[in-house]
Amino acid sequence: MTAGSQVQDDRTGSIYVAPSLSAALDALADYGPAGAPFAGGTWIMRSPIRHEPLRPHYVAIGKIPELSAIRIGKDAIEIGAAVTHAALAAALAGLPEFAVLAAAAGSSANPAVRALATIGGNLSALDFYAADCMPALLCLDAAVEIASRDASERMSLADFLKRRSTFQPGRLLTRIIVPRTERKTAHARLPLRKSGDYPVAIVSLSVNVDTASHVQAVRIAIGSVEQTPRRWGRLEAALLGAVLDPARVADIAAELAAEFTGRDSVEVPAWYRVSVLPSLVRRAAATALAN
Amino acid sequence: MVFTLSVNGDRLASTADPVTPLVDVLREEFHLTGAKPVCREGFCGACMVLVDGKPAPSCLMPVALAADCEIRTVEGLAGGGTLNPIQQALETCDAVQCGMCFPGMVVTLTHLLTTTSGATRDDIRAALTGNICRCTGYERIIDAAVLALAAT
Amino acid sequence: MADVSATMDLRRRDASDKLRGRTRYTIDRYLPGMLHAAVLRASVPAGRIVRLDTARATRMPGVHAVVTAADAPGKIGIGIADHPLFARDVIRYDGEPLAAVAAGTLAQAQAALAAIEVEIAPLPALLTMAEALAPEAPLVHPDWREHEILLEGGARAGNVAWEATVVRGDVDGAFARTDVEIVESTFRVGRQNHVAFEPRAVVADYEDGRFHIETSTQVPWTVRNATARLLGIAPSQVRVTVPPVGGGFGLKFDLAIEPFAALLARASGRPVRLVNSREEEMLTCLFRENAEIRIRSAVTREGEIVGREAVVLMDCGAYGGEQIFLTTMTAHTLGGNYRLGSVRLVSRAVYTNTAPNGAFRCCNGVYNTFALERHTDEIAERIGMDPLAFRRRNVLGDGDLGATGQVFEGDVLGPMLHRMDTLRDAAAPPRALADGRLYGRATTVGTWFVFVGPSAATVNMNADGTATLVTSGVEIGSGSMMQSLPQIVASTLGIPPETVIVRAADTDAAGYDVGVGGGRTTVSLGAASLSAAQEVRTKLLKVASDLIEAAPDDLVMREGRIEIAGAPGSGRTIAEVAARAQAQIGPISGTGAFTGAGVQAMPGCVAGHFIGAIDIPIFAVHDCEVAVDPETGHVEVLAYRVVQDVGRALNPRAIQGQIQGGVVQGLGYALHEEVTIGANGRVCQNGFETYRVPLAQDVVPVEISLYEGAPSIGPLGTKGAGEVPILNVGAAVACAVANATGKRVQELPLTPPRVLELLLDRKQDIALPHIAAAWADNLVRPHNQPDRS
Repeated sequence: MTAGSQVQDDRTGSIYVAPSLSAALDALADYGPAGAPFAGGTWIMRSPIRHEPLRPHYVAIGKIPELSAIRIGKDAIEIGAAVTHAALAAALAGLPEFAVLAAAAGSSANPAVRALATIGGNLSALDFYAADCMPALLCLDAAVEIASRDASERMSLADFLKRRSTFQPGRLLTRIIVPRTERKTAHARLPLRKSGDYPVAIVSLSVNVDTASHVQAVRIAIGSVEQTPRRWGRLEAALLGAVLDPARVADIAAELAAEFTGRDSVEVPAWYRVSVLPSLVRRAAATALAN
Repeated sequence: MVFTLSVNGDRLASTADPVTPLVDVLREEFHLTGAKPVCREGFCGACMVLVDGKPAPSCLMPVALAADCEIRTVEGLAGGGTLNPIQQALETCDAVQCGMCFPGMVVTLTHLLTTTSGATRDDIRAALTGNICRCTGYERIIDAAVLALAAT
Repeated sequence: MADVSATMDLRRRDASDKLRGRTRYTIDRYLPGMLHAAVLRASVPAGRIVRLDTARATRMPGVHAVVTAADAPGKIGIGIADHPLFARDVIRYDGEPLAAVAAGTLAQAQAALAAIEVEIAPLPALLTMAEALAPEAPLVHPDWREHEILLEGGARAGNVAWEATVVRGDVDGAFARTDVEIVESTFRVGRQNHVAFEPRAVVADYEDGRFHIETSTQVPWTVRNATARLLGIAPSQVRVTVPPVGGGFGLKFDLAIEPFAALLARASGRPVRLVNSREEEMLTCLFRENAEIRIRSAVTREGEIVGREAVVLMDCGAYGGEQIFLTTMTAHTLGGNYRLGSVRLVSRAVYTNTAPNGAFRCCNGVYNTFALERHTDEIAERIGMDPLAFRRRNVLGDGDLGATGQVFEGDVLGPMLHRMDTLRDAAAPPRALADGRLYGRATTVGTWFVFVGPSAATVNMNADGTATLVTSGVEIGSGSMMQSLPQIVASTLGIPPETVIVRAADTDAAGYDVGVGGGRTTVSLGAASLSAAQEVRTKLLKVASDLIEAAPDDLVMREGRIEIAGAPGSGRTIAEVAARAQAQIGPISGTGAFTGAGVQAMPGCVAGHFIGAIDIPIFAVHDCEVAVDPETGHVEVLAYRVVQDVGRALNPRAIQGQIQGGVVQGLGYALHEEVTIGANGRVCQNGFETYRVPLAQDVVPVEISLYEGAPSIGPLGTKGAGEVPILNVGAAVACAVANATGKRVQELPLTPPRVLELLLDRKQDIALPHIAAAWADNLVRPHNQPDRS
């Protein structure tokens, strides 16, 4: 431990405010490992408390028009990587099929941080395990677009999460694409205080039920419990075809929860994160049915 | 590199490194010490300023990105020797104790008052989740916000 | 001796500037030519310093001075002097200072720290009290016998830094009775960080051969004296002034980082600014100490407590500090509240290789009240008595003996419990919780007291009719310096409180003062101020008597005038009288001084205590309603009520503000705020992400009733009101959660995982094998036996 560690040393780093996507990609390519994208800054600016050095060069992407836009189309919505949580929550209000994402974007951190923090930053911060939007987007079958100076590539969010730690410098997450379909969705998060915490466990749910409440399709994603969020395939399979009854869903979840190995952390012991999953699943199911 | 910032209507120049948090530039170069760097993580809200009219923790904003924005600090919220409506209400309610969090509280609540005229007590609590107060237990701050809202 | 009341809801004069960001706290003071300092801290909990070479650092760009242990020969402490400024040869905790640097910029200072070459040979570290008390444990202070003793009487040995005992009556006899139930309870609590928003901060300069220290402190005189002791200079060589302080809560009731800045200022010849980073505040806070408690009682079926014994272990960390003194408190907190037939208590401050602990609002009292009240509920359950009925039967009343044998005056707790009944019954009936959560409620009592002790004040009467109050009091946020003190002076002199100018603390200007804390500001500084104002009043009346041609006894002072009683508009304005006095006999001033009354314990009852009996007890009754989520362990406080003994409320609205704030700080302690120490000896919570204080959505408005009229030697019948609101919050929440869940609550904070563990029966009863079964086996030497070491 050394004193005053949150204050910068005498470096002369740079921030390049990119006017366009191509300019940003060029700059990132030129900087290579010495550079990184800078979106909302709510993770990067906290590097000192994590005792992580800042990069010599940042490329600010917040002024790039297409990265700050949300396009709500007939078949899909497209979210620019630099869209803030606050803007996303506001844009999705009134679209019940995206209630899960609106809730995720609208309840993370605190209001001022939501107005800065971006969706792209949320997906790209490798060491931030409690991101609300990740499980929400997973349960919505989101895809992401990754661009570099020479190419652009689309992949499922699940693939992105597997591959993101291996990306070479110069790549930038540019867009998130979420398909539109009829469904009920809900986001159940458990902070330790009523207000303002990162959740210790997250259940994001998207479900299609027929008129008799039978489950026709369901996606359940678990966040914050392990280092990387993931879908709960066995629970999804167990629910298919049956009536979506929140209490029963919780019982099944309790039987299957042992497949998660919670992460130990300063906030809570590992067992706790797993232990609260069934009730969060129940809450998510009840909320989805009510939405 | 020199950044030109618009702070409380003044054009001011900073020679700080681009990644320097705005709060340090405000305090150390511009002598505007109202904003307090308490946690430097965006959790406490004591360094909140209005950036283009919206509350932002100035510890998380690098000076390079603040350069094109209109910044208003707690010192610039009311003219001359006056108090703005929320400052007045907080004074009337005898809400202040050590006072370190109040610059940020005032910034957040000034924004709430101008954007959410029908805010309930619960809305006020939710708006304050990024502003920590260690002294007062919050209720008087909420009382003051209710009082100020009723007067607008 | 006043003609107008001192009671009023006077607003704070400092609010307006604080609300506009104009107030300059210590962290806001940037002086021309100022250097920035940083402190190199150890990154192991225990080790031997093999080499510490600052040569390279002194040559780094911008560096003006580097100081190390060689520059600070003295040691400080309370009771014993065991604490050097820098680690010398041995490192005793992670974060212990090794060297300090001043440079042109903070970045340069930090770069220089990195250039200091340090070689440390790690030593085995004792991170828990259980480890420290193990039979063959290494010693945190192998040289403990050599520590200078500042107060005789405390028993010490090895890793037990200090031991204070109370023995009254035949405890063995009580426990041997056949008609009693023996109830035993164990408890454990963690540390709490004050999280004062202004970190420890100082700007020091070396002027005309003396140090001028401007600092964020509650104790300017302690800073003066302790700095001098560490530096090996005369205390008069140090002047301490204090700007408005951004929160204290006891954190700043001790010397902090001031000597580093002072040494660097002298070495560099420039003003030096040193401010702790938030991480330093989080890791090296003088936390409220973690503690372990075993309490046993012998109680008859009718509910009479015939015997009680307890062992309280308080972790003082690497150095004794405040904990040595705080061993005193157990007698008055754990030993408080109830009539006891016989009692024996031991509190032991135990050295560990962890960051030193300190004082925090109702220090020691919060956890001992938690332990006492949970133990009380366990007794009531065992003997099948309603817990409230048990309390009504046993609370201390007029003429009852306290633990140390002092005689309590007045029936206070009984009527306060009655008032709480009225409050509770007037409230809506318990909510049926339709959401499946478990409902619980509890009423708890608590005993605290005012730290009296020396204070001085001067009142200067100005010729314009205003008065200047000069003390060493500090405005830490509680408002006492802005509200109650000017109210006291103003009412004595019959002038508006706004016209009483309050001088900020300056040890060159005002006399000695113990400090602002322990609920003593209004009492001790208030009493000194009252006495000073009364002297001014007497002098003014004498001058006025000649002017008005009336006997002083026939004159009154009110509304800025000195008049003949019963003849409004007669006489002269106070300004006229003051101006006349100034011209004729010189400016009028008065001085006042105060210290405790010195209430005594019963002879032989106490050993190793700094305070054997309490001059001004303060009582509190709290009532709490909670809902517990059985699935997640989340506790929500639904309602909270406080009946607080205030003696006399000079500014009821200000006191209510203190109660709301203190209760919420207590809710943090009870529910959210957790400090843990990792296997590396470092505190795990290094910022606000992991150390969770209550936010606006986590609190409730506290329903408050101020209980006036209890006896007090405080000025105008006052007692301190700002300290005590936190006292029984942990107790009330814990008892309510125990009632809601039907589980044995033995630990704070009640974080969601801890509550869920209880609900799922995953949690074993807390065993404290390092507390010996036989009470006397816990003592390093028998009660009241002389030291033979």
